[in-house]
Amino acid sequence: MGSSDLAAWQKAAAKSAPGGQVDRLGWQTPEGLKLNALYTAADTANLPHANTLPGFAPFVRGPQATMYAVRPWTIRQYAGFSTAEESNAFYRQALAGGGQGVSVAFDLATHRGYDSDHLRVVGDVGKAGVAIDSVEDMKILFDQIPLDKVSVSMTMNGAVLPVLAGYIVAAEEQGVSPEKLSGTIQNDILKEFMVRNTYIYPPVPSMRIVADIIEYTAKHLPKFNSISISGYHMQEAGATQALELAFTLADGREYVRVAMARGMDIDDFAGRLSFFFCIGMNFYLEIAKLRAARLLWHRIMQELGAKYPRSMMLRTHCQTSGWSLTEQDPYNNVVRTTIEAMAAVFGGTQSLHTNSFDEAIALPSDFSARIARNTQLILQEETHITNVVDPWGGSYMMEKLTQDMADKAWAIMQDVEKQGGMTQAVGSGWAKLQIEACAADKQARIDRGADVIVGVNKYQLENEAPVDVRSIDNAAVRDAQLARLARVKAARNAAAVQQALAALTTAAKANTGNLLELSIAATRARATIGEISDAMEAAFGRYRATTSMLSGVYGAAFDMDQEWQKLKAAIDAFARREGRRPRILIAKLGQDGHDRGAKVVATAFADLGFDVDVGPLFQTPEEAARQAIENDVHAVGISTLAAGHLTLVPQLIKALRAQGASDIDVFVGGVIPAQDYAALRQAGVCGVFGPGSVIGDTARSVLSAIEARRATADRR
Amino acid sequence: MAAPSADLAKAVLARDRRALAKAITLLESQRDTDAADAHNLLDALLAHSGQSLRIGISGVPGVGKSTLIESLGLKLIEQGHKVAVLAIDPSSTLSRGSILGDKTRMDRLSTHPDAFIRPTPSSGALGGVAARSREAILLCEAAGYDRVIVETVGIGQSESAVAGMTDVFLLLQLPNAGDELQAIKKGVLELADIFVVNKVDLDDTAAATSARQLQSALHMLRPRHAAWAPPVLTVSALTGLGLERLTAEIDRYDEVMRGNGHFVDNRRGQNLAWMQQLIDEGLARRFRSAAALDGQYDAIARQVSDGDLSAGAAAVRLLTIFDSRRH
Repeated sequence: MGSSDLAAWQKAAAKSAPGGQVDRLGWQTPEGLKLNALYTAADTANLPHANTLPGFAPFVRGPQATMYAVRPWTIRQYAGFSTAEESNAFYRQALAGGGQGVSVAFDLATHRGYDSDHLRVVGDVGKAGVAIDSVEDMKILFDQIPLDKVSVSMTMNGAVLPVLAGYIVAAEEQGVSPEKLSGTIQNDILKEFMVRNTYIYPPVPSMRIVADIIEYTAKHLPKFNSISISGYHMQEAGATQALELAFTLADGREYVRVAMARGMDIDDFAGRLSFFFCIGMNFYLEIAKLRAARLLWHRIMQELGAKYPRSMMLRTHCQTSGWSLTEQDPYNNVVRTTIEAMAAVFGGTQSLHTNSFDEAIALPSDFSARIARNTQLILQEETHITNVVDPWGGSYMMEKLTQDMADKAWAIMQDVEKQGGMTQAVGSGWAKLQIEACAADKQARIDRGADVIVGVNKYQLENEAPVDVRSIDNAAVRDAQLARLARVKAARNAAAVQQALAALTTAAKANTGNLLELSIAATRARATIGEISDAMEAAFGRYRATTSMLSGVYGAAFDMDQEWQKLKAAIDAFARREGRRPRILIAKLGQDGHDRGAKVVATAFADLGFDVDVGPLFQTPEEAARQAIENDVHAVGISTLAAGHLTLVPQLIKALRAQGASDIDVFVGGVIPAQDYAALRQAGVCGVFGPGSVIGDTARSVLSAIEARRATADRR
Repeated sequence: MAAPSADLAKAVLARDRRALAKAITLLESQRDTDAADAHNLLDALLAHSGQSLRIGISGVPGVGKSTLIESLGLKLIEQGHKVAVLAIDPSSTLSRGSILGDKTRMDRLSTHPDAFIRPTPSSGALGGVAARSREAILLCEAAGYDRVIVETVGIGQSESAVAGMTDVFLLLQLPNAGDELQAIKKGVLELADIFVVNKVDLDDTAAATSARQLQSALHMLRPRHAAWAPPVLTVSALTGLGLERLTAEIDRYDEVMRGNGHFVDNRRGQNLAWMQQLIDEGLARRFRSAAALDGQYDAIARQVSDGDLSAGAAAVRLLTIFDSRRH
């Protein structure tokens, strides 16, 4: 195309472009990329990767030559249903219904290395996944599932040693030897320190555990992916696509360096590193991200000295974004998930989880899980999308965007290097703050209506029809786990257990031996998940996060907003009248470490003029009540994402009342099914804010409640 | 509203956690109508206060103050004490609220039955929140806490305020010394009774080097007390290394200073200085509101800034107006 043609287009476009400004068309992405309205051959003329082929370096177009044309991606649905029995039934049903692998979600207690009988996890057992205490639970989980044929993916990072050991021993007792096992363990601890927070030990011993697992699996489980380097939770916590990509690859590079420092040959383990990305609603950007990921990983591994092409090839699992699901008008989520699934497929993923439409409020029902699975089956079997390898290859836009995305992520990775690598960047809290700044910025865009979410901040439904959701009787699950734990402990040889645990503590302290090997021995002796975790905690200690907070990001977006200014003025007036600012404790209860919501709300409330106390993660209701009382707050806001609210929030209110603080108002926000609102109100909760609540509105109703409370106090 | 101070005072003495929290809120209140209640409360509790050792802690952001307080507090409790912590957050501004996250770094101490931790935003307080903390100390003592720790971020003025309300003042340092040391004002170094080089777990040679540098720098300073040469200690707040030594030095300081009578003199001096400061502030406030009443202050101030009147003559004129209205 000649430049004169382009000039003609410019002229034609100017006629319909608002104000004649063609440059203004397109879109500036949150990470600062410019998406143009038109791309031409000029955009791809100088791209180094432009004429490469799938299955060949640098693998932009896919890791295999034939991709889905021969074998489509693996449909892998992540699920865990409170008990091992229920989860097992679900997996078998899914396998029979066309699912091709098993993906296990564990409950929060298991993630954090606590047995179900631990005092700190009363509200967490069986929530957000399956409760596993010992190898006996594992055997039930995989009952009648042939582990030499079905690949198993386990989302586990904190208690990674006892869980992986439990899986290996369960297989062994099923008659399947380790070398036949295939699947993936997440084992990506670095991102836990940035988002999600399901770590147990401090960063340095945690990295040793990662290296021990890479080493052991390279030797004994050659078909098993020892790590799944995950950006998923970063995007869920608010990261832009470029930030997700950069931090994930930087994490990957860090793991490779740690293993190499152990003396391992990079080509011996590189092929068993897998990745895990989130696919949200930025359709073009998500496709470009996956292509850029392969391009950059090839560059990184080459720089680190890998020799085999296989070592430089990025393979990834993808999951559609849970954050993009809305509580409002929830059937829209089926559409969102379909679009996201298509982006993952066009990006060339190796396996995919599609979310169920009700996951914004609860764990999936049988119905919603079937629709989610069928979404993928329809893509694979009805659309013929699979017949063409990398269908976006050669698109001016996609090739240019792939390069832009790669350049942006590479620049961020250079910043990480300046911090001294990812362990440092995570340890100092720098990386976490980068993500939180993105999250506050995004929430502000949504609350201002600059980002549209149909049914939430535009085209809202007047009346929401309730959706049937799965509810969990947390107490019953816990009772059943406690009974089984007691049976396991009664039947085992106590001396052998103590010996195996002592060996673990010694090896952890002395930095000798392989901790996975020792965990397997302890598991065979019937040591529990909690006992194995404790044995290492005795040497490593339990990590406690230092919470750094940012301020000003959310508020800055509203400087020009009249309603916002009015609210600020009302808060200032309250402060003058009352002699102090409205004070609120923002807390998280139980083992739920998702703190994106709590952080965004805390920073926004402070920007408005509240004094905001922030509670440590993993508080018990009693601890939160005490902090509220000592700091003498007007209100407590509980942020919940893991369904423990029906147990934990009433306990908090009870603890407040027991100490004479029934005048402290309690609010709850987060992922809460509409069915639970009444129970929470009945327990004494003052207000419930579901997903999609605008922070300004939330703050206004909190302020009103406090004002009303103060007015009655003064009359008395 | 009935005067609640008598009931509140009784409940504080009964060591009721919620009452202590409410009492501190009353002191911190910037509402004029709360001032009388606050004074009554203090009067009622004054006789029951004074028996604690007041420990000031300061250092630059990131030096590990909260983590040190977590381990020091637990150590003191282990030794049989009851520990109150007053944390001042100077990061907040007039226009905004603040985020108070201290307890995220003190999660074991903050749940201990023998501890009480109160973070305080400094927003908008006339004369700084330090003013309130001084009185909050008295309340904590009345509630039975015999070790009161006052924490502030070292960013300039707040150190001297905290040193002026505590018996022993700890200054925290990072183990990379050299440049950092230059950055700390000589005046702040002179306030410290004990220097603590923290984070020795990160790099013990660096910590030892900074401790030595600090030690030699101290020789060039005027000692605050003839009887006490400030020791330089290395600790790890994270692992607990060196904490035993730290509490021993705090105890030794207490013993030496009580022995030579300085302890009592110091508190007397602090009380008098505090009274004088309150008088100065009160006078300044009254002067302004009186002089402003008929717009004289602004008019005369304008003449000074325009160069039509000398500052000295203006001051005399305004004070004369003030005197004539004082009835």
